[in-house]
Amino acid sequence: MQKLGDFKLPQFFNYPPYFTLQPVRDTREKQVQLWKDLILDYCKTQHIFVIELEEEFPLFSNPVIERSLSHEARKAFLSALVTEGRAEWLDKGHRKCLILWHRIQDWADIILRFVKDNGLEDGVMTIEEIRSGIESRGTELHGIDRTILMRALKLLEHKGKLAIFKGTSTDDEGVKFSV
Amino acid sequence: MRRRPGIGGLQTAAAARDQYRLLGENVAKLRTDLMKEQLATFRSQLEEFARKHKNDIRKNPTFRAQFHEMCAKVGVDPLASNKGFWAELLGIGDFYYELGVQIVEICLATRSHNGGLINLQELCMLLRQKRKTDREAVSEDDCLRAISKLKAQGYVTVDEVEGRLSWTSGRATDALDTLLDEGLAMIDDGHKDGKRRYWFPCVSSISSSVGADI
Repeated sequence: MQKLGDFKLPQFFNYPPYFTLQPVRDTREKQVQLWKDLILDYCKTQHIFVIELEEEFPLFSNPVIERSLSHEARKAFLSALVTEGRAEWLDKGHRKCLILWHRIQDWADIILRFVKDNGLEDGVMTIEEIRSGIESRGTELHGIDRTILMRALKLLEHKGKLAIFKGTSTDDEGVKFSV
Repeated sequence: MRRRPGIGGLQTAAAARDQYRLLGENVAKLRTDLMKEQLATFRSQLEEFARKHKNDIRKNPTFRAQFHEMCAKVGVDPLASNKGFWAELLGIGDFYYELGVQIVEICLATRSHNGGLINLQELCMLLRQKRKTDREAVSEDDCLRAISKLKAQGYVTVDEVEGRLSWTSGRATDALDTLLDEGLAMIDDGHKDGKRRYWFPCVSSISSSVGADI
């Protein structure tokens, strides 16, 4: 099996036609599904949160078979992820895509578990500490994309589980938990 | 060789060993050369044989199978390329190519009856019926060879189909697009030569479902 780093690539990645957008509907659906799963899987294991369409992204070409996804194909697969709620466009031009390999709700659950694991039910923490503090090491929260984190926190704020407060700068932005 | 004592004796023994070794190498080289010559002779005799028995090879499946075996023994594959001596002499590259396409057609047509699985004898029977109007008889051995050739390449271009089967232009595109619509082919526009390729993911499943070891 071919690998990208230590990520195992699926069989279809070595089959040239999968790098061309298929015109026949049923075939296209199957193709899109395979690519969606691959993108999510890869981003999850590699901790990638943003894909930029015009940048080199290892998944979008396979030098072994000398094939690359066209811009149109990349857009098609990412748009399919957006439609499914597993990704979001970050810009109007649809050049940057935020990948939700965990949905926002899943991230919210992860945060709650983190709070309980660290006895922070009534505690206070800065945003930065949540994403890069000692407690975050070894958890999925470590290195989480800021946009995603804020969304998840806002979701929890809406449910009354915490309150976000601003400090004097973004470095001081923090959270008061009431879990 | 008379043994002599002392250093002189040792030197003689060493010189003798060298001479024997050299002789041994020469003998080996001679044998290799002879063998190469024998193979070359065999090859040209095989070509002569093929020329003489061209019709038999074309018409008689058993004879054809034995001929293939003979070729294999000396490392000749008459089907390896569609150009050159063998292809031109025997024209059998096209024979197997066309057979391969017909096999795909039969598998397509019978898919709803047999769920995509057909055994080799039935395939051959259907193939003979399909071809009975003219041309050379077809054996199971031929079917297996045709399938293994299809499997090896995995794709075709419109030009290739037109050229090999002598179809009018457009007919090949229609046929391939039909297979595409049926979900049996996939397009590939990514090759640097810019030619569209039609791939057949079903072919590998055909060769394994025909129940033979290829």
